[in-house]
Amino acid sequence: MASKDDIGLMAHLMRRAGFGASRDELEARAAKGYDATVDELLSPEAQPAVDPYTLLRHQPAALLPGGQPPMGNVNYMYYLVNTKRPLQEKMALFWHHVFATGNSKVDNYDQLLEQIELFRQHGMGNYRDLLLKVAKNPTMIFWLDNNQNHGTAVNENWGRELLELFSLGASNYTEVDVREASRAFTGWTFETKLPRLPYGRFPWKFEYRPEDHDDGEKTFLGHKGNFNGEDIINIIVQQPACAKFICRHLYNFFVADEPQVPAWQIEAPRDQAAIDSMCKVFIESKCEMKPLLNHLFKSDFFKNARYKHLKSPAEVVVGTLRLVGGYELPKPGYGELSMQPSYMGQDLLNPPSVEGWHTGQEWINSGSLMSRINFVAAQIGNPDLPGVQAIINRLKAQGTKTPEQLVANCLDLLGPVEVGADTKKELTEAAKQWGDISWDNDAGAKNATQRAAEMLQLIAATREYQFG
Amino acid sequence: MALTTVVRGRAYDWSHAIGRGAATGTGFNYIQTMCLGNDNDLYTANRGNENNFGMRVNRIQLGGAGEEELMAEFFQHGEGDGKATWPFGVAVGKDGRVFCSDEWTNTISVFDPNGKFQYKFGKTGSGDGELIRPAGIAVEKNGNVIVVDSGNCRLQVFTPEGKLVAQCGKAGTGDGEFNQPWGITTDKDGNIYVADWKNHRVQKLSAQGKFLMKIGTYGELPHPDDAYAVTYLGPYVSSLPESHYPKAGLLNHPTDVAVDTDGDIYVTDWGNHRVSIFEADGTPLTNLYGDAHVFSKWAKQSVDANPDMMKAYRRVNNLQPLWRFCFPTAVDFNPATDEIIVADSQRNRLQVYKKVRDYQDFQANL
Repeated sequence: MASKDDIGLMAHLMRRAGFGASRDELEARAAKGYDATVDELLSPEAQPAVDPYTLLRHQPAALLPGGQPPMGNVNYMYYLVNTKRPLQEKMALFWHHVFATGNSKVDNYDQLLEQIELFRQHGMGNYRDLLLKVAKNPTMIFWLDNNQNHGTAVNENWGRELLELFSLGASNYTEVDVREASRAFTGWTFETKLPRLPYGRFPWKFEYRPEDHDDGEKTFLGHKGNFNGEDIINIIVQQPACAKFICRHLYNFFVADEPQVPAWQIEAPRDQAAIDSMCKVFIESKCEMKPLLNHLFKSDFFKNARYKHLKSPAEVVVGTLRLVGGYELPKPGYGELSMQPSYMGQDLLNPPSVEGWHTGQEWINSGSLMSRINFVAAQIGNPDLPGVQAIINRLKAQGTKTPEQLVANCLDLLGPVEVGADTKKELTEAAKQWGDISWDNDAGAKNATQRAAEMLQLIAATREYQFG
Repeated sequence: MALTTVVRGRAYDWSHAIGRGAATGTGFNYIQTMCLGNDNDLYTANRGNENNFGMRVNRIQLGGAGEEELMAEFFQHGEGDGKATWPFGVAVGKDGRVFCSDEWTNTISVFDPNGKFQYKFGKTGSGDGELIRPAGIAVEKNGNVIVVDSGNCRLQVFTPEGKLVAQCGKAGTGDGEFNQPWGITTDKDGNIYVADWKNHRVQKLSAQGKFLMKIGTYGELPHPDDAYAVTYLGPYVSSLPESHYPKAGLLNHPTDVAVDTDGDIYVTDWGNHRVSIFEADGTPLTNLYGDAHVFSKWAKQSVDANPDMMKAYRRVNNLQPLWRFCFPTAVDFNPATDEIIVADSQRNRLQVYKKVRDYQDFQANL
């Protein structure tokens, strides 16, 4: 039988490398072993993919949702809730943070979903290859105006963000490099799209127009040549700054909260040794993501980082829905459900800018905190949901509960969640008002179920529960 | 694809398209099923979206190309009698009664031909006469109503007033068993054909529900890596000729079936974005892929009202994605006109083909 600490560590892994897991799953994984679980997470192809046909049977508008929410969000949420490849989906979300592309300009959720699918398919592969695919992704091209980047009139939007936000970070290149990189991507555009009227949306298709490409010599990061876009990417990934930038992003997403990206040029990482070790793997593996993720999840710096990461709204919502269960099939109201991260400050498929979302403490303000607590409490306090039932059944099997036991067991089964002494004291005081609870008879069982659900709600409302 | 498909003594001509994307009025919104009425009219059940737009059954008066007219809309989103949450099935009796299934409330609502609510029956469950996610509906010659009780993986037969008469089928992959069936039809002899959606086949049953035949095996159309994906689940447009596609007989989540007066069988091969045609004994004949080269009447109105759209169309390199089916959900054969009507669901239109009876081949040395 797995020890409590094994379960705690496994819960940590599954929160970060996925969207949490039920106690049954945690116990099964802990029995299998930590490293074996990491290996399994790194082999998503061994698990079945999400069945898109069931979604489309019941919610056909989720395939080509156009520019209005929530059907695009419904599509994305369905994948997030149902995936049996949690790390693959988490990496797709990671790249959505990095290569932040938004519906506010694109006005085509279908194109954004296609980009997420690109991240799903290639997000655990080679970063250099992914960067090249992103450079050819029409949604990105439109988002950053590369369709307006002509040999005779350079537009620097893509070239600048490629260096500043997608690969190197500010202060690791010059304005001349931006200009020269942009020149190399002239002629990278997309074919004219079939218009949306009268039969709905059609996708863009990448097109390279040689006649619109600036074929002249460029000087980029000390290299000189007749560069095209792919050459620029090959030079970028050789830069030490690139490894540092990607590894710090991964650290912030999976390990512990870092300052926001614009501050990285002036603030050192919170764990330079960790970043250095990650960079070494990244460089040695020639930008392969799987060895890097393997290193990260098996490292001590990751294992020791429990509760050092404030859950993103997507993590809050998806983690809750997967925990409580009952949301595997589309149902009316799924649209509202899929918009919940937006109400907490993370409008999926529509980040506020190309810089992506500010993370960590910036997720929290008085409004977003209330949205988080209200959402989680409503779900977790509903004993009709199968995941909540499973928690209550475990409590029930353990017999009569004193207030102290109720608090301890609920904290354990809901995470395990680690709380401070003050929080524990407050939870216990609340439980003391109810006295001992027991499922011994019908009246007692009804009361005990209600009290257990209320305790779960109280825990979900704590400061500590916001950390993953 | 070719506008005329000739195969083994049959010829199919693309005729015209009907409809456009519209949450209300002259157009469709994700047709799930459809049914010919008694007066050269057609009823379509539209699913709509999570904003509660577009859910309805609409009745279209058919005619030649450009002669279609919208006659009625009913079963829109809402609570209470005559309203729907998730419209799915629609079928019309000889007396004009229109039966509509709601796969969320698990009920069958009955309307008059103009959409006036009459009564409803059905409740949630797996017991006799109870329903889970009712999908397609067919009306037998005697007026009884066959409901595809999809969530229970069975068919249930009711009198028009909703009294259970018979049932057949259970969950499974064996003969006479189903996995989330979708559409249904009957032939002139009363035999029943069911699109056994998640078993990737069509099953033919006798009027008494006895298994007679199955058609199709699972298969996805291959596509080259550089094919243009019209959606991330296809269809895929490539430069390969049609002969590179697998012959008819492979099915990927078939949604509906129709039988013509010769006994030929038409299946909407939803996940492969085509209509597969079989002889009466199940022998594969050919496929239709969608050929909407000409805008429908209502579609043209949209484009005419938005000149930028036509400007964009004139700049597009390849219009084939526009013509092709995208997740076709329903097919009917109109014996009065020999027309095959296909609900091209993701494109919110109908594509109409004609089975040409007297097709004469042209001189081959043109």
